[in-house]
Amino acid sequence: MFNKILIANRGEIAVRIIRACKEWGIATVAIHSDVDKNSMHVRLADESVCVGTHQPANSYLNIPTIMSAIELTNAEAVHPGYGFLSENAEFAKILEDYKIKFIGPSSKLIKMMGDKIQAKVIAKKYGLPVIEGSEGGVSDLKEAKKIIQNIGFPILIKAAGGGGGKGMKVVNKEEEFENLFLTAKLEAKKFFGNDEVYIEKFFQNPRHIEVQILSGKNRTIHLHERDCSVQRRHQKLIEETPSPILTDELRNELFEKTVRMVSQIGYEGAGTVEFIYENNKFYFLEMNTRVQVEHPVTEVVTGIDIIKEQINIAFNGNTSLKQEDIKPRGHAIECRINAEDASKNFQPSPGTIGMCHQPSGFRTRVDGAIYQGYKVTPYYDSMICKLICHGRNRTEAIQRMKRSLDEFVIEGIQTTIELHKKLLDHEKFISSDFNVSWLDKEKII
Amino acid sequence: MEIDKKIILKLVQTLEDLKKSLKEIGINSKDESEVEEIEISGTVVKSPIVGTAYLAPEPGGKKFIEMGKKIKKGETIMIVEAMKTMNHVPSPSDGIIKEISVEDGQPIEFGQKLIILE
Repeated sequence: MFNKILIANRGEIAVRIIRACKEWGIATVAIHSDVDKNSMHVRLADESVCVGTHQPANSYLNIPTIMSAIELTNAEAVHPGYGFLSENAEFAKILEDYKIKFIGPSSKLIKMMGDKIQAKVIAKKYGLPVIEGSEGGVSDLKEAKKIIQNIGFPILIKAAGGGGGKGMKVVNKEEEFENLFLTAKLEAKKFFGNDEVYIEKFFQNPRHIEVQILSGKNRTIHLHERDCSVQRRHQKLIEETPSPILTDELRNELFEKTVRMVSQIGYEGAGTVEFIYENNKFYFLEMNTRVQVEHPVTEVVTGIDIIKEQINIAFNGNTSLKQEDIKPRGHAIECRINAEDASKNFQPSPGTIGMCHQPSGFRTRVDGAIYQGYKVTPYYDSMICKLICHGRNRTEAIQRMKRSLDEFVIEGIQTTIELHKKLLDHEKFISSDFNVSWLDKEKII
Repeated sequence: MEIDKKIILKLVQTLEDLKKSLKEIGINSKDESEVEEIEISGTVVKSPIVGTAYLAPEPGGKKFIEMGKKIKKGETIMIVEAMKTMNHVPSPSDGIIKEISVEDGQPIEFGQKLIILE
């Protein structure tokens, strides 16, 4: 096994990775910016190196100083966490060149799946359904009519040069298409000086569903799905597994197709394939070639430590798990606790944490990096910790989450705890009758 | 004789840094009142939020404001980023930029002086 791993990240995910390393007796190196010198990840790691000033570009994204930190500490591998350099193909390539193991897929695969257009082509080639639409701008009616044959209604027409909703048309029936297409073209010309429009499928009630993958040279397995449809401005707020709205038949088809695609591209490591789900159909969105924020819900239902398995695959090249080892039990929910004031349009709320009491108890997990007296700075993401609750079924998971949220005390800053309490009591959440734009349309607090 | 305003800014900054470090070890600076007196007349625009100041909309881009240039009420003076949220700081009135008190990328506190308008 590796003797020493450098964690190129901060906050709760850095703490999460250090915990996994410690359990396996792997020495850890934390890197940090000047303002993070008192952070939890720095305190828990065996060694720490300050790599720059508060701005991410000067520290957590600063490849030359991170390379120096690796050399100084003789780390053998780098765990990038999520965000920052986790999907930076250039960073992975530099590490490959210097024979330092990047805990994740090869730089080639990161680059391939990081390019959204290329990823879509690959997904389609290996049999995943993609969001059909025009490849580029269209202005010819005949060409447009040919394209819509593959999409299915409703269809969205939007100006190629546009934005802000101008020149956007939703077409519900084929009869309406010609008329609306010509109007959209006219508007596009008027507002943006270019009559080209994009044509794509329009989603009225989309859910976000993703499949967790672990893949080695020997085999690819899936760890079932996560439903992350409670979002605000495309940022996930609550994630759960299993999805309350999928049938087993659809689920199994999705797993089979996803595993086939990931194994055929020769992927190594943990990854997530994200989909839009609507009306019993899936559409490939993108692949995240890293660990995700919401990985704990999968961990608690499957009993698999995803971070350790990432490290294992990085070291051995193979996964030690078989598909039959994955038997999820019960239901898990994660609430993201952000330093934001939900009553003031989610305004960031940095500051010093006063009293801090984190919930615990049966099947209750907190992944965080906060403590009493910790200063939440304004320089990084507002997510300060995550609360994960496991139940025999969804009802029990919700009951446990509500109990845990009630125990949670974070004084000195505003957090999303109160919002989560309201969401978990909301009839739309309880009946799982919502889509990804729910919180953008309805005011909860 | 022309006095380079940058040097004054730097001196004020150094003094503030010194005061901050003194405060951290529990010594209160006595000449706080003297510093206040140096302030030039005009409208002081303060930061509405703690964060990182950006003088241009993108790295290397054209700056929102320039010394000595006119600005209209409501126009953006600078961006203060807090937790990945970009907050545009609007000008409270029409005026001329007399002083830019922060540097691009500088961390700033709530209520810290950003610019002086005249």
